[in-house]
Amino acid sequence: MAGTLTPERTAERFCELSADARAAVLLDAAGSLASSYGVGESGSAELAELARSLFEAVDRAHRDIPGGPPEQVEAQVEGGTVYGSRTPRWTLAVVGRRAALSSLMLMDLRAVLGELEGGPPIRRSTAAGEPARGPATEEAAASESPVPELGRDAENGA
Amino acid sequence: MKERRRGPIGRAAGLAEGLAATVRRMQREREPRVLVYDETGYARLVQPDGRGYERLLEIAGRMVELVDEAEAV
Repeated sequence: MAGTLTPERTAERFCELSADARAAVLLDAAGSLASSYGVGESGSAELAELARSLFEAVDRAHRDIPGGPPEQVEAQVEGGTVYGSRTPRWTLAVVGRRAALSSLMLMDLRAVLGELEGGPPIRRSTAAGEPARGPATEEAAASESPVPELGRDAENGA
Repeated sequence: MKERRRGPIGRAAGLAEGLAATVRRMQREREPRVLVYDETGYARLVQPDGRGYERLLEIAGRMVELVDEAEAV
């Protein structure tokens, strides 16, 4: 299906979506590198190994913490913050800027992994300043969807 | 409630309090920390004396270094 996110594109996709992401790596269920972005070819293998180790350490730390198994992790260190999110099939780890908003990064991680697993594609809202696609008439305004993304879906599907 | 009018010393003290709070907040934000989230999004702080805390920070630190190195090339 056109527009479906592939594992090979996922790391890059995340960095495109989030301005505060500097690098990303995607691992499959076996812990093998599926894609990476932001560290070049030479750094990919090490970043993947570190992402694997990150969740191993999370699972060790989790033994002392009440609650369900951790799905996401946020580790803030000098110079940046590392975020990780996993599903039974995929693990996505991201190195973000120190100023990144954790809630947004974690939400984007879930959204991108959801998209990879066949969920709805993430759509970016259109800027208010963007030129209108047709003449501004009352009829056109009446036919507009209050949720622009839904309206666009309908147009694309037609 | 009506705010009590403050003189120049009171205003200066208020500014200093605000500045001190900002510095404290910035220091707190710079401190290393690790949080884990379960599937519902509930966050739990990994305690500095907890198992795996040092290792998590070590791994995260190396990941940041790796990106710094890649960006410097």
